[in-house]
Amino acid sequence: MSHEREKSQSWDWDSPQCRAQLDEVFFRQHDYIQTGRTEHKEFWTFFERFQRFKAKKEMSGSKSSRQESDEGKARKKSGSVDLGLPKDYDARYRINISVCSKDIEERLGGSEHRRRRESSGPGRQEITDCRLALLHFLDFNQKQSFNKLSKLRREQKSLPIFQYRDRIVELVRTHPVVVVAGDTGCGKSTQVPQYLLASGFDNIACTQPRRIACISLAKRVSFESLNLYGSKVGYQIRFETSRTTATKLLFMTEGLLLRQIQQDASLGQYQVLIVDEVHERHLHCDFLLGVLRSLLPLRTDLRLVLMSATINIKLFSSYFSDAPVLQVPGRLFPIQVIYQPIPSEEQVSRSEKLDPRPYLRVLQGIDQRYPPEERGDLLLFLSGVAEISTIQEACQAYATHTQRWIVLPLHSTLSLAQQDKVFDISPPGVRKCIISTNIAETSVTIDGVRFVVDSGKVKEMSFDPKAKMQRLQEFWISRASSEQRKGRAGRTGPGVCYRLYAESDYDAFASYPVPEIHRVALDSLILQMMSMGLGDPRTFTFIDPPPASSIQTAVTYLREQGALDEHGELSSIGRLLAQLPVDVVIGKMLVLGSVFKLVEPVLTVAAALSVQSPFLRSAQHNPDCSTARQPLNSNQGDPFTLMNTFNAWVQVKAERGSASRKWCRRRGLEEQRLYEMVNLRRQFKELLRTHGLLEDHAASRAVPQDRARRRERLTERQKLHQLKRDHELQENTKRKVLRLEEGLEGDASSASDGEGASSGKKRKDASEQTVDIQEVKFKLRHNVNELQEAACASADLSSRQQSLLKLVLCRGLYPQLAMPDEHNATRKDSEQVFHTRNKQGVVIHPTSVFAIDPEVLHVPEHESSEFGADKGQSNRHQLLAFVTLLETNKPYVSNCARIPALQALLLVANSVDTNVDCSRLVVDGWLELGLTDGAGAMKVLSSALTLRGEWERQLQAQLGQGGPGSSAGLGLSGPKVSRRELEKLCEGLVRFLLYTEVSYSLRRLAGLQSQNLYIGPQKDPDLSSASSLGSLFPGMKPEPDAIKGGLRVCSYFTYNCLRDSKDLYSECLRSFWSCPHCDLYMPLTPLERMQHEVSCRPPEEQQPEEEAEPESVNTSSSSSSGLTRVYHCDICDKDLTLTSTEILKHKRQHLS
Amino acid sequence: MDLSEGSALGVFTCELCELSSPYSFYGQKPPNTRAIVLLEECYGMRDPFCPEREKFLVLGSKCSLCCKTVCVGTDCSLFYTKRFCLPCVRDHLHQFPEQVQNEVQRKKSVQKTSSS
Repeated sequence: MSHEREKSQSWDWDSPQCRAQLDEVFFRQHDYIQTGRTEHKEFWTFFERFQRFKAKKEMSGSKSSRQESDEGKARKKSGSVDLGLPKDYDARYRINISVCSKDIEERLGGSEHRRRRESSGPGRQEITDCRLALLHFLDFNQKQSFNKLSKLRREQKSLPIFQYRDRIVELVRTHPVVVVAGDTGCGKSTQVPQYLLASGFDNIACTQPRRIACISLAKRVSFESLNLYGSKVGYQIRFETSRTTATKLLFMTEGLLLRQIQQDASLGQYQVLIVDEVHERHLHCDFLLGVLRSLLPLRTDLRLVLMSATINIKLFSSYFSDAPVLQVPGRLFPIQVIYQPIPSEEQVSRSEKLDPRPYLRVLQGIDQRYPPEERGDLLLFLSGVAEISTIQEACQAYATHTQRWIVLPLHSTLSLAQQDKVFDISPPGVRKCIISTNIAETSVTIDGVRFVVDSGKVKEMSFDPKAKMQRLQEFWISRASSEQRKGRAGRTGPGVCYRLYAESDYDAFASYPVPEIHRVALDSLILQMMSMGLGDPRTFTFIDPPPASSIQTAVTYLREQGALDEHGELSSIGRLLAQLPVDVVIGKMLVLGSVFKLVEPVLTVAAALSVQSPFLRSAQHNPDCSTARQPLNSNQGDPFTLMNTFNAWVQVKAERGSASRKWCRRRGLEEQRLYEMVNLRRQFKELLRTHGLLEDHAASRAVPQDRARRRERLTERQKLHQLKRDHELQENTKRKVLRLEEGLEGDASSASDGEGASSGKKRKDASEQTVDIQEVKFKLRHNVNELQEAACASADLSSRQQSLLKLVLCRGLYPQLAMPDEHNATRKDSEQVFHTRNKQGVVIHPTSVFAIDPEVLHVPEHESSEFGADKGQSNRHQLLAFVTLLETNKPYVSNCARIPALQALLLVANSVDTNVDCSRLVVDGWLELGLTDGAGAMKVLSSALTLRGEWERQLQAQLGQGGPGSSAGLGLSGPKVSRRELEKLCEGLVRFLLYTEVSYSLRRLAGLQSQNLYIGPQKDPDLSSASSLGSLFPGMKPEPDAIKGGLRVCSYFTYNCLRDSKDLYSECLRSFWSCPHCDLYMPLTPLERMQHEVSCRPPEEQQPEEEAEPESVNTSSSSSSGLTRVYHCDICDKDLTLTSTEILKHKRQHLS
Repeated sequence: MDLSEGSALGVFTCELCELSSPYSFYGQKPPNTRAIVLLEECYGMRDPFCPEREKFLVLGSKCSLCCKTVCVGTDCSLFYTKRFCLPCVRDHLHQFPEQVQNEVQRKKSVQKTSSS
């Protein structure tokens, strides 16, 4: 064998050892390509191919001899200039790169003879081979990158907007406002910012209506401006930013720019503002335009560019004093429009399911007319999710039969993985049939669509101010939407659009969709306007002013919520709420929760209620999911269920990292929502901290971390950052090819169902091999241990904390309350009915825990007396506090919590009215509570008033009434409430909520009853009862109520204004009673009893000064003046100034 | 943070196809590449499509005959021990080896068919 040890034989290119030796020559630590990097791996793959290619060439024989003669001839012909080119062609001459590695080679070469026999190191030939391969590899890479660049430049040039490049820059230079109008595909969104950037404008912000567009545009534009790996182009959305100090062009959401204006009214950080998609007329966008319009005169250097589709351009131009308009043609392929109105027998009434026949006919028609080799997918626009599943079912049956379609639904309640499928590619001969809501009209763009089917319908959210209810209604679309849908067929080639309505219908459509500002509740908008100091919202110059009634509703609502005071000015809580990027109700919860030191659970609940539900609708009917979810359910209400879910998820994340994905799938949870929650939660926490509502524990906690731990964390973070970068690089990998069964699986459309299916498994395995990028981002952003601690803290809430949390929720959500119908106990679970103040007959959304378990809302039968005057009396009446009321086919309340009726109402309601003995209470003019035990009623009322007063005082103190200038540190400026005071208040509230044992009836007032509710103003108000009330509710100054009659004790409580036959002092109400604190025993009316109770305190509670006061009948003590009143004794015929107790004692003198 | 930013020396523009891009080095030695040497004076930049900072991309150079600035794209120039813009290659086509001639002729015919 020894003679075979020729070097060429023993050298094995495939051996890792041999390769490693060459790595030592070419790929050292500081070389262009380094061992271990991706490029290094790519080189060796390239090397193998290169060797095979060379071998093949050698096999096919050398042509060099013939070539030589050819070349000889050539040279003779052209005489003038000798280029001095080598005679023999060698691919090597085509490469303009060389690699010098002489130093190493010489070293190896020198030792070659000696080492040759012992070690089979690389010889000259191997090194030459390797170098040649390397040169070709480098050249290949150069070509690849250059081709990318040149393709990119070609594409940029071919965009319709390219010709207008100089004109646009010129216009922006010379005009404060420019409108660029161009249709789909003209390239305005990607190119205009680049043009401005390239021509020297700095600090450009470009707003987008959608977050996802910010990210994708930033990515695309940074790629196009050859800055993919720099940060010249960045984005900023709610939780994420790629902005650095080097960022010159920033894509951001409209909402975020508005928030920035709130911080810095002049927007000094930007030189150019581009507002994109202004034609979509989103609420934020309309508002932003208004704000910018008023900003322009103050910032003459600012440049504003509005970009719009070619819709209603004049509106925008004239709003900005006839700003110049540059109109750019779009780039769409021709689209054939076919009107196929649905015949009347296939049209359906509202309650019925959609008839799939018109849709199936289109599929059949396509199959007949177009050969399957001609690619092109179908996009079908329907109004809503229910419609989609109906048509999907029918199409799927057809697809299974023909094997020529893959049917995929697309709407926002699908899991993200499901949504993502529409971008995958169908196998040859098969078309995708994507059935979508109007999400695919603007938000989601799918390439490769050739056919569009347009139902002409859309479901749109509107706000009903009368019922205070959101309504999702079906409408005909506008002509603009119809054109937009059509355009989706012509993005990549000529297309066809089937309109399932008549041309005459089309002509009758509105030109444009109704702008959002005309459709939605304006609460948050008005609040933001107030905090920006934009003056009276009714006089603000909107581009298209909302109806005055709509503004009025919002103002009233904000006043009810306590965000505005009686004069319509921002209250301290309102100022804070305006800073929080959430609904007013959620913001209120956060503030209230932090005051009660319930921060962790409240943060979770507020975050959970601000994102889409993580519970996938599709998993609703999956028994496995329901079983797995069971332990998460809380019969206290949905906010508690959400909180349990979040806490459990955090535990799983802390213990098992990315295993949480599986955990979620098993429970039918969309993990993305939980990630959103955890991000939002963190943002809330930071906001509370900056507003001084949260003490900073972080500083104290960070200290004990030793250096080793810190370093460990640092290396972990570095690793995570690397993972994130790697992932970002991989992201542009090609789309998957769909399988025919994909649609079938989508039929069940549940991620957890997919787990069982074979293709689902494959998908899952594939996805688990890759990095879970969400997990990486999560770990980068959050400290899991800290979260786990917080989760643990809010997981074992004591019943005391739970009821406080509920109260916080309730006060936050008020007046969004619903009461159960009195006959619910006798109804089926699915037929439970509830009433809100403004809307009767609402039902609980099927996703709510109360839909599964409505019995917890019933008054226990054995506790309510069924007969006589006591009918319906119980101390267990409950109400629902809900987050949303949305009417689709029925009015649904969702995200509900159950709350004890009487206690909660007394603590949060804006208006509590009573009759003379407080046996009858009417809350907010619609809920009537009947308390037969008048004394009990008084007691409950009195403690509620005291608690509320104290709560309000502490809340204001926490928020700090530091005057209007102190908006930055609202919480810090005020005097802090002592811990003892706070604990006492909490204790009082909890006791009141949990242990108020008074029976009452609860009913809703009918329309007529609520009309004749009040006595009305009286000419001769009974001042004596006013003064008696003063003693009943110390510290309050009752005044006659000018409208309701009776006495207005405080802002929310009016005494004795209800029409009532009972007389306060009628003898029949007197009963014998003995005071537990003094030796009083005599017949008293409930009111008298209350008065006594208030003034006669148990000795341990009495103030020292009071104790010192001699209790003589005739002395009027100044220290207890709040409790004394003028009493005229008929027997003595004298006016005496006495406390209530003293009066009673005085009376007793006469009795005995 | 971004070494690549703000380091542009000027804008490279191909005199034939008008492709243009900022360039950050000119010469035979791309920065931070150690053993690599270019065989012509090139306009180059950091490879914008590669995450690694030290990777370079040659945009173009001057034609060794007519001194026109041309990009390295195959429609504008080729390298055969030296850089030649395609018009110059065509002028001296017969001095080039057969492989190159074929390549250039093929390109011509392709261009004709695609433009017609």
